[in-house]
Amino acid sequence: MLELRSITAGYDRRAPVVRGISLTIEPGEAVGLLGPSGCGKSTLARVAALLHRPDSGTLVLDGEPVRGWRHHAPPARRTAIGVVFQQPRLSSDPRLRLADLIAEPLRATGRREEAADRVAELAEPLGLTPDLLRRRPHEVSDGQLQRACLARALVLRPRWLICDEPTAMLDASTTAALVEAIEDYRAATGAGLFAVGHDRTLLRRWCDRTVHWDDLTASSVPPGDRPGSPLAARRPAGAP
Amino acid sequence: MTDAGAGPTAGTQDGPVWRSRRTDRQSTRTVRVRTSAVLIAATALAVLLVPPVVQLDQQAVDLSAKLLPPSWEHPFGTDDVGRDLLLRCVYGLRVSLLVGVAAALTATVIGTAVGACAGALGGWVDRVVMRLVDTFSSVPHLLLGIFIIALFRPGVWPVVISVALTHWLSTARIVRAEVLSLRSRPYIDAAVSGGASRWRVTVRHLLPGVLPHAALAAVLMIPHAMWHESALSFLGLGLPTRTASLGTLVQSARGSLLAGQWWPTLFPGLFIIVPTLAIAGLAGAWRERFNPRRRSELML
Amino acid sequence: MTQRPEPPVLSVHGLSVRFLMPGGHHVAAVTDAHFDVAAGECLALIGESGCGKSVLASALLGLLPANAQTAGRAHLGGLDLLAADERTLARQVRGRMIGLIPQSPAAHLTPVRTIRSQLEETVGQLTGVWGRASVRTAGEDAAARAAFPAGHLDRYPHELSGGLAQRAATALALVGGAPLLLADEPTSGLDRDLVEHTVDELRRHVDTPTRTKGDTGRALLMITHDLTAAERIADKVAVMYAGRLVEVAEADSFFGLPGPRHPYSRGLLGALPERDFTPIPGMPPELGDLPAGCAFATRCARVTDACAHRPPTTGSVACHHPHRPEEIRA
Repeated sequence: MLELRSITAGYDRRAPVVRGISLTIEPGEAVGLLGPSGCGKSTLARVAALLHRPDSGTLVLDGEPVRGWRHHAPPARRTAIGVVFQQPRLSSDPRLRLADLIAEPLRATGRREEAADRVAELAEPLGLTPDLLRRRPHEVSDGQLQRACLARALVLRPRWLICDEPTAMLDASTTAALVEAIEDYRAATGAGLFAVGHDRTLLRRWCDRTVHWDDLTASSVPPGDRPGSPLAARRPAGAP
Repeated sequence: MTDAGAGPTAGTQDGPVWRSRRTDRQSTRTVRVRTSAVLIAATALAVLLVPPVVQLDQQAVDLSAKLLPPSWEHPFGTDDVGRDLLLRCVYGLRVSLLVGVAAALTATVIGTAVGACAGALGGWVDRVVMRLVDTFSSVPHLLLGIFIIALFRPGVWPVVISVALTHWLSTARIVRAEVLSLRSRPYIDAAVSGGASRWRVTVRHLLPGVLPHAALAAVLMIPHAMWHESALSFLGLGLPTRTASLGTLVQSARGSLLAGQWWPTLFPGLFIIVPTLAIAGLAGAWRERFNPRRRSELML
Repeated sequence: MTQRPEPPVLSVHGLSVRFLMPGGHHVAAVTDAHFDVAAGECLALIGESGCGKSVLASALLGLLPANAQTAGRAHLGGLDLLAADERTLARQVRGRMIGLIPQSPAAHLTPVRTIRSQLEETVGQLTGVWGRASVRTAGEDAAARAAFPAGHLDRYPHELSGGLAQRAATALALVGGAPLLLADEPTSGLDRDLVEHTVDELRRHVDTPTRTKGDTGRALLMITHDLTAAERIADKVAVMYAGRLVEVAEADSFFGLPGPRHPYSRGLLGALPERDFTPIPGMPPELGDLPAGCAFATRCARVTDACAHRPPTTGSVACHHPHRPEEIRA
């Protein structure tokens, strides 16, 4: 079970983008969270993925409350969650060949020797040919790169998958192919899914249950108290 | 049709007529890059080959031939004790380049290490380190350099240390800023999520992204360090006047310039300026090249 | 639907773009594209990322990198865009004849200047308006045309939401009264409501006559991978696959009945979550290594021996075995 309990998070303590949000995902369940861009749903996804420490609130993962985020979380906890990000180009290290990109989590967790087999096993159904696996990110298309990013998210066999608009930049066929691959993995492993996005049709078709951001916030935030500029809210102020 | 895979042959009998466009900007840039490359190659050759090949004594004093203007025998003229200026310039360039390269490398190593630590660790480490950098930066380089040099006996290495210790600051800033910007990239999130340790994230994902910037900073620092050496030597604080460096040459030529003898100042001066411009020219082109994303952005 | 006036605003004939790569081989990014866009008409160019759509747009604007070569013709107002030199493109075409609506408006706007100052600069550059007061009015008019709220004119790009930034960019594109608007993925990264809003705004600009002439409106070439957005706005659809236009069709029949005729187009539509949600098997071929025959053959259910030869691209469907209206109805 993945439980977010009254999470408040953001990049500026005075103006958090996520305020007191609670959401529970049952094991093996696929939950879609719908919301307009800049509303804070990506931040919530990052909190759930142990990538962003919330200002307050609790995250309970498989019955155990999370005490640390990012490097403060033990690697085994972090790797129990696979994450697929919105922009494949930004979420892949430009220097790594696709095969290394996919194998990176295995190497980082000291399971180097499994890499070759596991990469081959994942690449085949995703249509990543040996030729593609030898290339670097700038030599493949967005769709191909996102397939590799999905393989990377699955390489450690996570119990949870968190997808932050993984198909927003992709065409219909690649979207359908990625969703199919994720669903195949979930069918085989019983992993739970937390998908965040703005495409109603897609999330309703994909997920067991969809919730709207406004319905989550309605219970916790006084209306009309929306945070400021969406663009400012998306990234920490460090970005140029 | 031989290029069946690529040519738009369908529907047309005679095949397409291809046009290419090359902009003027492009060609001037090519010229600039080539000129810079040739100049740098010439500098390197002169510095590396002339001393062992020519086997002339740059210190050979000939008081009967002092302050001769440029001629076939002495293309750059001679100085106030009759030493051949061309030879002195080449030896001077050698020393100046050595100082420049050594100082730039040392400064870059220090700066990268400090900047990467500050950027990757963040928190109080970052704050303390960057305050320290600010403090050092608020003191003029030359003044600080003079202070450091005063701690040692004159020679080449004190100059290297002085220049290196005053110049790692900007590299540290560049590297820290770059690490900070990379650190917020989703691919670092992906690495963290994949179980990578802090060390692995820094060494495998952050540093490789920063190194091109650091290398560029190092290259651009070489001429800067040469200028500093020259300035220190010109003030009489750097290298001993006996050691030919571009700075000491200009310094010892000061007197003769007032007497109307321009060559002892001009040629060492040119030897400082030309490699500086050449390095800047190449570095600019490099900066545009090393980003691998550029191509795919344009194409797809 | 709008009445079609005769001479098209943009007429593209046999447009090809290839890139010379190190080692002497070529990447055929766009091959032999034929299409027209008339005033008051929107042509949606659809296809997956990396199929050559954006290269086509860059070719029309003369913004290709130096290793690119072009072939064919692209006529816009008596000028062949592909043969025009940089000076002509800069002084007569960009902004004046083609208004570009960019993919990421936030990046397209200068971050350190207010929307007002950017609009006024563009007004000063592209129109004959002169004098501080009239430039100011003209700038405000331009903003109003794109439904950009006057109260936000003095803001900087980072202070705007995605939708407002898109309108600011659109306002800039409209200033020069260009007969052709070129929108490159105008909706990517926007959420569904904003997509619909942006698309409806664009449609309005297509239907609004340009100020200079009393004609039927602007022509819009919209490049997108968003089929839903295309369905909402387009009069005509051009489907691109592996650098070729495989189908050019009326939007009504393409999205409605009888539906697309090229197997690739059908697969693309079928992949939509509101339809079958089934991906087309496989992936598109590399543009640098296209097969001799039909590029879709390896992914196609209707493949036969005939597909070893390349189907002609001059008609409306580049396929040896297109779906026929009668069999689709059956």
